[in-house]
Amino acid sequence: MEFRKGQKIEVFQKSKDEAWEPYMDEFIGVHGMITDPDTIINDSDALIEVSLEGVGTYRLPQDCLRLIK
Amino acid sequence: MDKPLCPVHSTILYLSDQLDSGKLKDPKSRRISEHILRLIEEISNGHADKEHLHAIDELIEEYHHDKEAADSVGLEIGKHLREVLTKDHETFQSHLETGNCASMDCIRLAPSPCQMACPAGIDIPTYLSLIGEGKDAEAIEVIRHDNPLPWVCGLVCTRPCELMCVRARIDTPVSIKFLKAFAAEKAMSLGQYKNPPQEPLNGKKVCVIGAGPAGLSASYYLALMGYQVRIIESLPVPGGMLMVGIPRYRLPREVIDREVAMIESLGVEICYNTRFGKDVTLDSLRKEGFEAFFIAIGAHKSYTLGIEGEDTYKGKGVIDSVEFLRRVALGDRRVPGRRVVIIGGGNVAIDAARTSLRLGAESVTIAYRRTRSEMPADIEEIEHAEEEGVEFSFLTIPTAVDGDGKKTTGLKCLRAELIRKEDSDRLYPVPVEGSDYIMEADAIISAIGQFVDVEGLEAFTGIKWTRRGTIEVKHTCMETSEDGVFAAGDAVTGPATVIEAIGGGKRAAEAIDRYFNKMPQPRIPKVPVRYRREKSIEMPASTKMALKRPEMPMLNIERRRIMFQQAELGYTENMVREEARRCLRCDICRRCGKCIDVCRDKMGIGALKFGYMDFDHPVETDFRKTSETCITCGACAANCPNEAIVIEEKNGERILKLCGTILNRQKLLYCESCNAVLGPAKYLDYVKDKTVGVAKVLDQKRTLCGACLRKKGAF
Repeated sequence: MEFRKGQKIEVFQKSKDEAWEPYMDEFIGVHGMITDPDTIINDSDALIEVSLEGVGTYRLPQDCLRLIK
Repeated sequence: MDKPLCPVHSTILYLSDQLDSGKLKDPKSRRISEHILRLIEEISNGHADKEHLHAIDELIEEYHHDKEAADSVGLEIGKHLREVLTKDHETFQSHLETGNCASMDCIRLAPSPCQMACPAGIDIPTYLSLIGEGKDAEAIEVIRHDNPLPWVCGLVCTRPCELMCVRARIDTPVSIKFLKAFAAEKAMSLGQYKNPPQEPLNGKKVCVIGAGPAGLSASYYLALMGYQVRIIESLPVPGGMLMVGIPRYRLPREVIDREVAMIESLGVEICYNTRFGKDVTLDSLRKEGFEAFFIAIGAHKSYTLGIEGEDTYKGKGVIDSVEFLRRVALGDRRVPGRRVVIIGGGNVAIDAARTSLRLGAESVTIAYRRTRSEMPADIEEIEHAEEEGVEFSFLTIPTAVDGDGKKTTGLKCLRAELIRKEDSDRLYPVPVEGSDYIMEADAIISAIGQFVDVEGLEAFTGIKWTRRGTIEVKHTCMETSEDGVFAAGDAVTGPATVIEAIGGGKRAAEAIDRYFNKMPQPRIPKVPVRYRREKSIEMPASTKMALKRPEMPMLNIERRRIMFQQAELGYTENMVREEARRCLRCDICRRCGKCIDVCRDKMGIGALKFGYMDFDHPVETDFRKTSETCITCGACAANCPNEAIVIEEKNGERILKLCGTILNRQKLLYCESCNAVLGPAKYLDYVKDKTVGVAKVLDQKRTLCGACLRKKGAF
């Protein structure tokens, strides 16, 4: 999935990436918005900045995110 | 009778009062009280773990530690806290276990979506309100609780706050970034941009490696806490990527200089032209008494293209974007070439292109492997580049640098097409066979990403590195795996945003303070702090809806092509004050929807059209429509848990307001006999309709209150 700035997303699963920390388990099911999708190289492996509603802004691996329509 | 306050919340109020009253003069007692306050605030926010209560118990013991020398005020506070914790232990425990406050006192200070979205956690609604009232210096004071570089951020922040702004669900987000820049500039210009009071020096020394946004942020907060801070900086200037990565037309050097000077005035020492691991070593710094280290070296190394001829023509027309932008920032204003090609599609590529244009290049082309819609650069940046005359060559894959042996003459390229691979919804550029061609160029600038330069950090043998080549930290406290060593900024995240670096630096400063005071580090990230509950600005619903986000005035296009003068000219004062008033004050209205439910379901009216309350599926919002059907019964206000929607009677009117926006105002009717307030006519009609058949109508002609009607009926 290629994420763009301003798209609405859901953290739908735990990431297998090493950047996933235990406290992030509580993010699962939370909706949010892509705020910085990787402004350099558009890399599917890059951590991207998402702002989660009522939770805060974090850099997360892309495999835990999916777009919400 | 007033509802009793939550003991967690009332303890915060009690300790804050004690600290603010000036009665607590003993430094040790102040320190203990501040630490306890911080721990209880985390309990209140639902972001503490079971160790917190234990740590508070131990801190309370410290008040009594040396009975002979103990401070009487401190002893009194300790006694009070002991009593509260014993009596209300279960409530404290419940906050820890559930993260909720049953009485909602602790939730009252829940941060707004914009504040939650800000990686530095700035109290945005408060400072917008202050700007709306013309109190720019006070606004800057609020911002600097969480971000020591408000002017910088006002010009270059990627503004996640605006993406989460609730006003965007109605029309467009509040222009938070530009308002911040205005307030900072105004406060600085009037000499009202001040540092807050500093704690006395505590004798502890922290070394910060890198004077970029993360390093400056950590240094500022550490210096305020009384630490002696020295920054080791390899460049001859402060700011890191702010100074040598962001071109001057976006961020003038004076802005960085002035804000850095404010940090230096706190006693922060910056050693320029000093490379860690070469000019100074970990051992030498430890011998000097530095006990904690903060690594904020950024990501200053460029990836190479890996194509034929790149090495041959390096320095003969081929240059990487980081080096190019650094050279220009440090004063080298030579044009890189007559025909410049930049490879990449991100913000750095755009910066290199617009800079080349300003240096006098005749043609500047950005070569990108995919199409415009896949470009990772910000859309505003792309549009500004297009306006200035930068050309784009999409679906272009560079294959080799061409030259005459002495210098670059062109870039060999292949055309690409985007193909969707199996099991993936990403589009990948694939070369079209036989489509090779040469783009004429005498300068080729690569801008395909950066990474962390690890040279010099070998002395930190205990830190771990991620597979992305960044420093591994616990993000809650920016602690590395080496004791006493912390890190933040691009060195941790990879190339990221200024505001993330600032937020990381602030978190690291707090963690370093905890490290020195042997306090447990937070388990999960801290919830941003609300500093005030500013009064809402009153205005009619029609004004609230009619106000529109202003366009940013720009420097004329001719100048933008040739000068490094700031391209965005900034809002006028009038624009700023009006724009601040568009804020919906989500720090007060938490969008729980109770007002809508009670109006629609209990009263059967449905006057509140607040479609913005739903994040996923916002529908129409129109504050003006409330007055069409609202009877000003006050049911919404009575059910609002945060006093966001209020009803008041003033000058013969009943007025309904949501965070200052006047939704409805109706003329009050009075009892003709005793002059008691009856309510507006619409409300009385509603009551009459509901009670028809229940209450006997005694007098249809006169307007009387219930008591007078009964009296009349008795005779």
